[in-house]
Amino acid sequence: MIRHLLKLVWNRKRSNALLLLEIFCSFLVVFGVATSALFVWSNYRRPLGFEWKDVWSVSIDTKVVGDDAWTPQQNELIERLIAEARSVPGVVGAAGIDNTPFGFETNNAGWTSDGKRLRSEAVDATLEVPTVLGLQVAAGRLFEPADNAAPWRAVVINRALARARFGADDPLGKRLRERDPSEPEERVVGVVDEFRRGGELALPGNLFLRLTRPGQPSDRSGRRILVRVEPGATVAIEERLVRRLQAVAPDWSFEVQPLSRLRASAFRLWITPVAVGAIVAFFLLSMVALGLLGVLWQNLLRRTGEMGLRRATGASALDVQRQVLLEQALLTTLGVLLGLALVLQLPLFGWIGWIGKPVFAGGVLLAIVALYALTLLCSFYPSLMARRMEPAEALRYE
Amino acid sequence: MLQSYFKLAVKVLLRRKFFTFISLFAVSATLLVLLVAAAMLDGVFGPRAPEIRSDRTLGAYLMSMSGPDRTRTAFPGFAFLDQQARNLPGVERMTVFSVPSSVASYPDGRKVSSFLKRTDGDYWKVLDFTFLEGGPYSAEDDVSGNSVAVINATTRRRFFGEASALGKTLEADGQSFRVVGVVPDVPFVRVAPFADIWVPIGTARTSGFRHDLVGEYMALFLASDRSALPGIRAAFQERLRNTPLPDPKMYDTLHGGADSLFDSAARILLTDRFEDSRPERLRALLLGLAVAFMLLPALNLANINLSRILERSSEIGVRKAFGASARTLVGQFLVENVVLTLVGAALGLVFAAATLAAINRSGLIPYAQFTVSLRVFAWAVGMALFFGILSGVLPAWRMSRMHAVQALRGSSL
Repeated sequence: MIRHLLKLVWNRKRSNALLLLEIFCSFLVVFGVATSALFVWSNYRRPLGFEWKDVWSVSIDTKVVGDDAWTPQQNELIERLIAEARSVPGVVGAAGIDNTPFGFETNNAGWTSDGKRLRSEAVDATLEVPTVLGLQVAAGRLFEPADNAAPWRAVVINRALARARFGADDPLGKRLRERDPSEPEERVVGVVDEFRRGGELALPGNLFLRLTRPGQPSDRSGRRILVRVEPGATVAIEERLVRRLQAVAPDWSFEVQPLSRLRASAFRLWITPVAVGAIVAFFLLSMVALGLLGVLWQNLLRRTGEMGLRRATGASALDVQRQVLLEQALLTTLGVLLGLALVLQLPLFGWIGWIGKPVFAGGVLLAIVALYALTLLCSFYPSLMARRMEPAEALRYE
Repeated sequence: MLQSYFKLAVKVLLRRKFFTFISLFAVSATLLVLLVAAAMLDGVFGPRAPEIRSDRTLGAYLMSMSGPDRTRTAFPGFAFLDQQARNLPGVERMTVFSVPSSVASYPDGRKVSSFLKRTDGDYWKVLDFTFLEGGPYSAEDDVSGNSVAVINATTRRRFFGEASALGKTLEADGQSFRVVGVVPDVPFVRVAPFADIWVPIGTARTSGFRHDLVGEYMALFLASDRSALPGIRAAFQERLRNTPLPDPKMYDTLHGGADSLFDSAARILLTDRFEDSRPERLRALLLGLAVAFMLLPALNLANINLSRILERSSEIGVRKAFGASARTLVGQFLVENVVLTLVGAALGLVFAAATLAAINRSGLIPYAQFTVSLRVFAWAVGMALFFGILSGVLPAWRMSRMHAVQALRGSSL
């Protein structure tokens, strides 16, 4: 049966070739959109690892560009600013960090340990950051006041980095990176399951929090202050906070943003491209669906005689309908196989990266299902026409 | 000839309304997406008030400084622009202004976030702002550091309601400014003119930026006429090369350029350190993307066309029998298809205008003012022609190769 249908499809290869190409292209479009949507969704469902409610991020504009313009005096001034922020009524806790949660700026560190090339996000944080952000420790401990006086820098790493750097070994008490002896040692004191600084939709990856010890010129303090405020804090508190900070550092500028707002804008930035892609893909697919419907309908009209002949030689109406649907399914299969052949190259070349195999497989599956649904839906009405043909009428056609 | 083709095309389109609807839907949806993209690009790069002389304006928008093992990519620094980039040959007027920074104000217990830009006095002469009230501040205001500000209409509403703002003071970033002028809102995507509040550079609380080669400033160069532009670009590169660097062991080269907006986009997108601008490559990339996007819709339309010409086989047979050449038939069919895509483009333009209005209203991009400009309209016509030919050429070729006898009999291709 299938072989016979294949022959039928082959006989009409010239008009089918274009249909095949169209199905192939549609498959790629659906695959692309489905995979990115699935990726965003699966990313969103992973735990965030910190609490953003009632936390404000204060960006400090020091009016200096670049890292090499950094001075120890700035460290000291930022320490005073953090202390000042903590003393404002309505503020529960304050901490210094280099890149704000839900922000798009990241600092990345790359190094080689035990012959392995590693990359990780590095977050410079003061002692209070874990408390202000409500981090939950999974192994070891978070920063402690005694760490501020230690000759090494305490480091808290996430689960992914622990696995990448230490494998099955216990990371606690170990050195994170082998560095120049002039720089302080980085010693792992704790592991957190997750600390997804970039927010729910940011790409997964390695991350370590490195303690900024006060009074240490080697530890550059970040230019952001995280402030935990009492629930329901008002603009009046924000204004008071900014004025107090301004009084301590008159040359610098301060900008306060609640993490809830940063989170909302980060969401918008991640969702917008996916949403635009989905809308465009929807347009494309609906035009493909309508086009297919028209083409199949037209093609069927031209094959009325053939269908009539089948009916006359004893095929039932249902048989004819089945033939039309199966032919279309066969064509779809060919198109999808072509698409699969191309798409499956991606994992073979290791190009799926952080998308991950489950999401990739889900995207492929969704694309396959969507294409069969689309093409069969479009051929259903034409197949119904074929079924309702009167054999005598059909034979007389032409 | 063309007229009769056109008449025929309309007749054919009206004959099978369902097919015409499908085709028009496909064409207009495709062109809608492309036109919205084109209009947004035009909104970013095209000439728009107050940058009405952009055809003879160049800007230094990006700069980087690199050394043996480090690169700093940012914007040009004030020191470079002020001390090295002045008096370029062919430049009629030059302005230096800062990248907008986000500042907070707290008028009567509310919070207002605005973008503040520090500029020199010539800024208002290089850019053609129309003033809703008052006027610009001058170079003297800049030199003596007078606390005056020009604000946009939205900022006026946020601070002072519907009342006039002239002479009133507003506080931003802990400093007070007296409003001397109000201008209309400028879209966020316009790099040089965008801001909520403009104040003189002289009012800056710090002076560290005055020593930066790479920093947070930009400049515009208004040329005396268009022919001077290549000279200005070359002279700017010359100045970059001859600028002494404070610590050559750390940084030894400056990269950047006097660019058009599009050149700058190519610089930032296609190079790591802004060393080179290849606008032609960016243009090719955008065109390639547009064509790739058209591929699936074109296939779809070609398929529809192919099945449509089959029902016209007897007509083709007759024409062939009476001696129409393959070329004539291809021409005829292409004209028909282009008529279809042009109608689709007209629909697409209408939808695109509605979509752009929705984007402007959504507030996704502050003060967005995307419109279907004349240039976008020209793009629409060009795209429709291209799309019509792309999707029509294969069916037309197939049709022209029909055998007259077979075609007359109405059998398949």
